[in-house]
Amino acid sequence: MKNIITLFSLILIITSCDIVEGPYEINTENVTPTDTNTYVKKILIEDFTGHTCQNCPSAARELEAIHSLYGDRIIGMALHVSKSFARPYPISQAPKYQYDFRTKWGKEWDDLFGISEMGLPAGMINRIGYPSEHRLGKDEWLARVITELEKETDFGINISANEGVITVNTEILNNINGDYNLVVCIIESNIINWQKDGSEDVENYEHNHALRALLSNENLSTSSNYTISDEIEKIINYDLASLEQFNIDYSENIAELGNGDAGGWDSSNMSVIAYIYDNTNKEILQVEEAHLLNK
Amino acid sequence: MLKKITYTLILSLLTLNSFSQNNSSEIHGNFDLNMQSYQEDELIGAEAADEIILNNAYLNINYTKGDFVAGLRYESYLNALLDFDDNYKGNGIPFRYASYTIDGLEVTVGNYYEQVGSGLIFRSYENKGLGADNAMDGIRLKYSPLKGIYLKTFIGKSRTYFTYAEGIIRGADAEVNLNEALNLESKTKIIIGQGLVSRFQADINPKFKLPQNVAAYSTRLNIINGGWNYSGEYAVKLNDPVGSLTSEGNNYAKGNALMSSLTYSKRGFGIVAEMHRVDHMEFRSERAQEKQYIINYIPTLTKQHTYTLLALYPSATQTEGEFGTQIDVFYKIKKGSLLGGKYGTKLIFNFSRINALNVGSSFLNDNRKHTPMFISIKGEELYYKDINLEVYKKINKKIRATGVIAKQSYNKDVLEGKTPGTYGIVESTIAIADISYKIKKGYTVRIELQELLADGGEGSWSMGLAEYTISPHWFFAVQDMYNWGNHEISKQLHYVNINFGYLKGANRIEIGYGKKRAGIFCVGGVCKEVPSSNGFSLAISSSF
Repeated sequence: MKNIITLFSLILIITSCDIVEGPYEINTENVTPTDTNTYVKKILIEDFTGHTCQNCPSAARELEAIHSLYGDRIIGMALHVSKSFARPYPISQAPKYQYDFRTKWGKEWDDLFGISEMGLPAGMINRIGYPSEHRLGKDEWLARVITELEKETDFGINISANEGVITVNTEILNNINGDYNLVVCIIESNIINWQKDGSEDVENYEHNHALRALLSNENLSTSSNYTISDEIEKIINYDLASLEQFNIDYSENIAELGNGDAGGWDSSNMSVIAYIYDNTNKEILQVEEAHLLNK
Repeated sequence: MLKKITYTLILSLLTLNSFSQNNSSEIHGNFDLNMQSYQEDELIGAEAADEIILNNAYLNINYTKGDFVAGLRYESYLNALLDFDDNYKGNGIPFRYASYTIDGLEVTVGNYYEQVGSGLIFRSYENKGLGADNAMDGIRLKYSPLKGIYLKTFIGKSRTYFTYAEGIIRGADAEVNLNEALNLESKTKIIIGQGLVSRFQADINPKFKLPQNVAAYSTRLNIINGGWNYSGEYAVKLNDPVGSLTSEGNNYAKGNALMSSLTYSKRGFGIVAEMHRVDHMEFRSERAQEKQYIINYIPTLTKQHTYTLLALYPSATQTEGEFGTQIDVFYKIKKGSLLGGKYGTKLIFNFSRINALNVGSSFLNDNRKHTPMFISIKGEELYYKDINLEVYKKINKKIRATGVIAKQSYNKDVLEGKTPGTYGIVESTIAIADISYKIKKGYTVRIELQELLADGGEGSWSMGLAEYTISPHWFFAVQDMYNWGNHEISKQLHYVNINFGYLKGANRIEIGYGKKRAGIFCVGGVCKEVPSSNGFSLAISSSF
């Protein structure tokens, strides 16, 4: 018996550690180029963040790194949430952190999925794992992305956007039935504003994929049966100025310690994100992104 | 799968019980229930719960028959109390095990808690107050081949909420008591120990080379001679990058931790001098840097206060890097002397100080390498400092009194994970008086008066507590915390709590009503943030 245990311990000691020598980075190109002829499953990374959250930029960088590796199959969205991490600073601290990136829908999703209450940064990958394993730290994103990339999709989404009108065309790729919703929202990138990064206050930080507005969140169709090659068209008319005013009013009147500084939108940096999710488990099954001005 | 094993276990328990006439077998258990109602209170920031009432409950059952033990724990979170992680949800039997010992070999299958040394490289434990439970699920063997030699080895997965983390944890530990092993009859006792823990997790990262097997090892030494006792442990964790896709996100540096403590004690006097240094030493059941995966434990190097205002700003061990020293002195002034009086006076002095490592913890990637100086105190960022003196005196047969004075410095930004520069260091001066008076046999009144003076944080606080105990069955307590020094006048609030309890035999019931402030709750340097709340509470505990 003694020998068995000693042997076991020895084997354990000898085999139980890998020491990796540098260089640690492996040269990689975009590992899965998108096949433009057919629909592939795309992945939405929802990054819950805040401009005074010191570790949040590292999550944003992780999102960018995943995006640059997997290209168009990764779609990012940054949701600025919570009083502690995303509220604007009082005017006495100007010019630092005066902008209010928060939105009504960011708050609703944050409450529904219970993300910021357990600290930021954190996010969801296609909302997989709801209700108990959907909230992921940034170091957990990659593994979930890799699993999701293996999956097939039953939906193809096409977005065409022109000023004031967005058309989302969903093509059914298999005979399926289920309870699905289609969500259409607008995000903005290249917003230059303050961000806490570690112990630094970065004045010219580039905020990307920031959620601006939710345009629609409705059943994909009235039926629960879908037949292969069916196409479902959704047309949305919108007025950007009134959406912007909505956020300003939200910041001024509803958001905790908001100040109404939520304007300055630039449509040339905006995109439409459309995604389909399963109402029973919230899982996002397909997502697509297109420039708001059809660039 | 889990269910199947549980049913099999219950079945085997029942079967065993029916054969137990000849051999004494016992079943023991204990039950805990904590229920709380949550009403909104905008002033203190307390939120109402949609469910109105939240409830946590546990039942442990252990069956023993000779050298065989089996047991399980049923846990119920319907829904979990607000200061608990949302991921504790629903009911289940997440803990079940069976174990037997034969010819010096102990075999455990199923769930178990285990620790290597003082926990620097591995500690699986549960603390219901903290909502922490990283129980292992797997196999553990313990064996003592010779007198004075203790071996253990284990393999398993570590619990996170109602599931298990991805990594497979393997561990082994050997402890040798030299005096027992070599039959030495020396006055000096020496115990040495060596532990090793390794985690396997597949490398799926397409951009960075990751170690799939990450090892941590530790060596410990304990020397006892008369009133002297030295204990030390040194631990190393090998490269353990989190597996990010960014270069800056992956730290390939080794981590290490050193703790050292020297004690001298004789009748009426004791002194403990301790230091520890921790550098990049968080060890987890998965690569991801999330608190639910932590599987090691670095004991805090500060005094664990029990009085509310002394523990208002507690220290949490920074496993990524800190250097600390602590000294405790215990002295009893003799009976009959001028200061000692009729019963003697006890004095307990404590000093601790924790600061950051020089230019942060160790770091290594393709572009940057940093190893902090081994010891650096001057000029480093202060995390925590506490200097306190406690005096305990029995005045006469009816009156006992405890007084404490303390000065604390608390780096709120670091210790609460806030944005640097938001709050800075909270300096506080604290005084406590605790007097208990025995009215007659079985009837005791205890009064606590506490005062905390501070500019930073939430400003100054006063607290009063009156407790009336009719032993052995009843107790009543009223407590008020008053934040009179808050810089925001609207937050100069009273937090009143009323509690009463009834104890009879193995059962205990406590009912309370009151408001709790948002704050930090710590056990042994492991801390969690607690939201403010307002409502009724019911706690029942029972054992058989």
